[in-house]
Amino acid sequence: MLLSVKEILMTQAQKTRTDERRARLPRRSFLKLSAAGLAASVFGAAGFDLTPQQAAAVLARRQAGTLRVAWGGAPVALDPLNASADTEIAFLNAIYDYLLDTDARSELVPRLATAWEISDDGLTYTLTIADGVTFHDGSELTMDDIVWTFERLRSDGPTADLYADIERVEPGEGRTVVFTLSRPNPDFLYNLTDNHAVILKANAQNIGQEFNGTGPFKLQEYIPDRATLSANAEYFAGAPGVETLEFFYFDSVESAVNALRGGQVDVVLRMDNATFLALGGEGVFATQQATTSGHDLVRLRADREPGSDERVRQAFRLATDRQAIFDRLQFGFGAIGRDSPIGPFFARYYSEETPLPGPDPEAARRLLAEAGYPDGLEMTLYVPNLADRVALAQTLAAQWEAAGIRITIEPQEEAVYYADNGWLEVDLAITPWGHRPVAQQFLDLYLRSDAAWNESHFSDEEVDRLIEIAGTTLDEDERTQAYHEIQRILIERGPIIIPYFFAQFGVMGDYVSGVDVHPFAGRTRFHTATVS
Amino acid sequence: MTHSALSRVRPARFSRGAGSIGRFLIALLRSPQSAAGTVIVLFFLALALFGAQIAPYSANDQSNPPRQPPTAAPLERLRRVWDDPGRLFEAETYRLGPYPFGTDTLGRDVFSRVILGTSSIFRVAGFGTLIAVVIGTFLGLFAGYQGGLIDEGITRVFDALLALPALLLALVILGIIRNIETEPGSFQAALADNAVLLVIALVYVPIVARVVRSSTLEVKTRAFVQAAQIRGESWGYILFREIFPSVIPALVVEASLRFSYAIFLVASLGFLGVAARPPSPDWGLMVNENRGGYYQLTPWALEYPAAAIALLVIGVNLMSDGIRRAVQKSE
Repeated sequence: MLLSVKEILMTQAQKTRTDERRARLPRRSFLKLSAAGLAASVFGAAGFDLTPQQAAAVLARRQAGTLRVAWGGAPVALDPLNASADTEIAFLNAIYDYLLDTDARSELVPRLATAWEISDDGLTYTLTIADGVTFHDGSELTMDDIVWTFERLRSDGPTADLYADIERVEPGEGRTVVFTLSRPNPDFLYNLTDNHAVILKANAQNIGQEFNGTGPFKLQEYIPDRATLSANAEYFAGAPGVETLEFFYFDSVESAVNALRGGQVDVVLRMDNATFLALGGEGVFATQQATTSGHDLVRLRADREPGSDERVRQAFRLATDRQAIFDRLQFGFGAIGRDSPIGPFFARYYSEETPLPGPDPEAARRLLAEAGYPDGLEMTLYVPNLADRVALAQTLAAQWEAAGIRITIEPQEEAVYYADNGWLEVDLAITPWGHRPVAQQFLDLYLRSDAAWNESHFSDEEVDRLIEIAGTTLDEDERTQAYHEIQRILIERGPIIIPYFFAQFGVMGDYVSGVDVHPFAGRTRFHTATVS
Repeated sequence: MTHSALSRVRPARFSRGAGSIGRFLIALLRSPQSAAGTVIVLFFLALALFGAQIAPYSANDQSNPPRQPPTAAPLERLRRVWDDPGRLFEAETYRLGPYPFGTDTLGRDVFSRVILGTSSIFRVAGFGTLIAVVIGTFLGLFAGYQGGLIDEGITRVFDALLALPALLLALVILGIIRNIETEPGSFQAALADNAVLLVIALVYVPIVARVVRSSTLEVKTRAFVQAAQIRGESWGYILFREIFPSVIPALVVEASLRFSYAIFLVASLGFLGVAARPPSPDWGLMVNENRGGYYQLTPWALEYPAAAIALLVIGVNLMSDGIRRAVQKSE
C-alpha cells in the first residue's frame, strides 16, 4: 500500500528532527556498512566459497542420518491414480515400489520384479517378483496385490488408455505375475514403469490418505509443508542409507534454493536453467544434471493457412537459429533439438542423418514469397506465461523477424492457455511437454492424426503408418528404421520445431552421496543416499 | 446592486498571466527537494521524447554478447580525470561504454531498453492521468455545483469504485478488456491496445472528481458565484469561468499526485504481466522477466529498470510536493 504524500511528509518531518541529532556517527557507520555490502556482493558474484566458519555452521545445523529434500511446490493428489507432479510422485516413490524402474539413461532396471520373460509372439509377459517383500503393516506382498493394483489402474482414470492393451493380469506359477496383451507392444515394460503404477495392497482403503507400501520409507508425519518419512529397516533391497527422509514443500523454487543456501535442507531438485547456473557458480554445492526427453514444442497448425503450405513450415524452420537459442536460453544445458520428439535421450532411435536446414532468414523470406506471402507474415504466438517460455517466444520473434515473420507474443496464464482446449485451436503456439521414458508416447500423444493432443493438426499418412509400425513391431531394426524415417519426414515437412530438450537439475550439499537425479525429478531414489 | 457593482466582485484567481506563473515557478524551484524532483521529471521527460535518438540499440536487438557485466568505467574515468585534469574537457571521458547497464540473458542492451521504456510509461501514465483529470474535473464541478440527487448519484457511484483498491480494480477491468475478441484495425482493437491507459483514467476519475467536488462545494457559496448567478450567466460560464479557476490549485496538486501513483500502477501492472506484451521494454515487465534465477545471473537487468521506476516516482513525488507548497504560497 502506498503512503499518501501527506503521511510521507509527516513521517519525514519527524525523522529529520531525530536524524539531525545523531547525524554524525551514523554517516560513518553507514559508509562502513555499504562498503561491507559492496564487498560481499562483489565476492558473491565472483563465486567465492563460504568462509570455513560459515561452512562449519552450515554443517553443524545438519542433523545426523537425515536427508532433507526441498521442493518448490506441494503435493495435491496422493492417490497413485491421480498423482502426477514431481512432489507427489517422489512421495509415492519413497513409500511404495514399482515393478520396474528406469535409470537416468532410461534403461530398465529391476525393482519388485527381478526378472522378466517375453513370449515369442510378444503377447505374454512373465515377471518374477522378489522374495521376502513385506508391506509396512507387516503383511507379505502377494501376487494378488499386484493383480489388484493393475486391475485398478486399467479400469479407470488417466492410466486406462495406457493399459488398454492388457487383456488380463493373473498370478503365474510361484512368485510370478503374467500379463497377457491383446497386441504386441514393444514398450510394454516401460509402460509398467509408469508414474502411477506403484503397487498397493489388495483392497486397500483410503488410498491417498493412508499409505501402506512396500517401499524403503514409511510415512511418519505429514503436515502441510513437510512430510517426514522414516527408514523401513525391513526393505527387501536393503535398509536405506539414512534414518529419516524429509520432504520440505516450499512456495517456489526460489525459497527452496534459499533454504539450501541457508543450510536448512540438503537437496533441491527441479529448477530453472538460470537458477542452476547461478548455484553452480557458487562452487559450494554438488550439482547434477540429466538430459531428459522433455521439450518446448513450437508448432504451427498444418490444417489451415498459412501452415498448410509446406513452404511456410520450412520457412519457419529456416528462420530459426537453434544454436543461439540453446546458448542463450538453455545456457548449454540439455540438448539441441532436431524438430522431432525422438531426441538424443533416445540414443538408440535418434538420428542425425537428415541435415537441418538453416539458419538462413533470406532463404526463409524467399520461400514465404513463393508460398504467396511476399510481404511476410503477421502472426500471434501463444505461450504459457512462464519465464523461460516467454523468453523463448521473444528470441523466436526476434529471429523470425529477420525472415519477415512479424510476431505478436500473447503470454497467457497456464490455466487460461489450456482452458477450453484453446491451445489446440490457435495457429502458432509453444507448449512445454514433460519428460517421457519412451519416444512412442510423444508420437501417440501429439503427432498421429488421431492423437488426443494433436495440437498442430498434422495428418500425414506416411507418418501415421510409421508410428503404427514403431508402436507394434517386435523387430528392433524395423523399429529403429521407422523412427529414423519419422525424423526425416518431420525435418522435411513437419509442422513442429523442437529447439531444445530440457535438462533435469539437482543441487545438494557436497556431504550427500548416492543420489542420482532422474530425468523425471520425482523418480529420483533416496534409499541409497547417505550423508557424511 | 447595479451591474457594475456585481462585476467588481471577482474571485481570487490563481495563476492569471505570466507574473503569477513566474512566481509559482520560483516558489517551486526555491526548495532544493522540489527543484531536484522537477529536474528528475524533466530528465525523464527528455528521455521519453528523444529516447529513440539516444538509445544505442533497438529494444529487441538480441545480437549483443549475452551476460556482459556492466562496465565499472565511471570510477575508472574519475580516476583518470583525477590523474590528468585535462581529460575533463575530452569527449571521450563522457562517452558511455558499449553496454553501460550490461545486457540481459537474451543479449538485449539494458541501457537502451530502460531509455526506450520511458516513453511508454509517460504516454500511459501521463495521458491516463490527463484523461482522468479532464473527466474528473468536469464531473466534480458538475456534481458539486448541481448538488441534490445528481450529486448524490455521482458521489455514491464513485464511493463504490473508491472502495476497491486501484490495482485490483485495474486488474479486473484489464482482465475483461483483454478477453474481448477484436478485429484488427477496428475501434475496439484500438481501445484494447490502449487498455492500460484507459484503465488508469478510469481508476483515477473518481479520486479527481472527489477533490474537485469538495473544492466546488466550498467555492460555490462565495459571493462572486452568487453574483454571477444573479447576473444571469449561463451554467457553463459559471462552472468554467467562475468556479473552475478557484479549483485549479487543488487540481494541480491532485494531478501531479495522480501522475506519480499512475507511474507506480503502470509499473505494477507491467510486473504482473498484464500491461505490456513482451518484448516491449516496459520497466515493470523487465523487472518481472529478470526475477528468480535470472536475477542471480544478470542482476543489473532487474536493478536498472527498478531503479528507474523508483527514481521517477520519487522525482514526481518531490515535484508534486513542491507544487503543493508553491500553490499555497502564490495563493
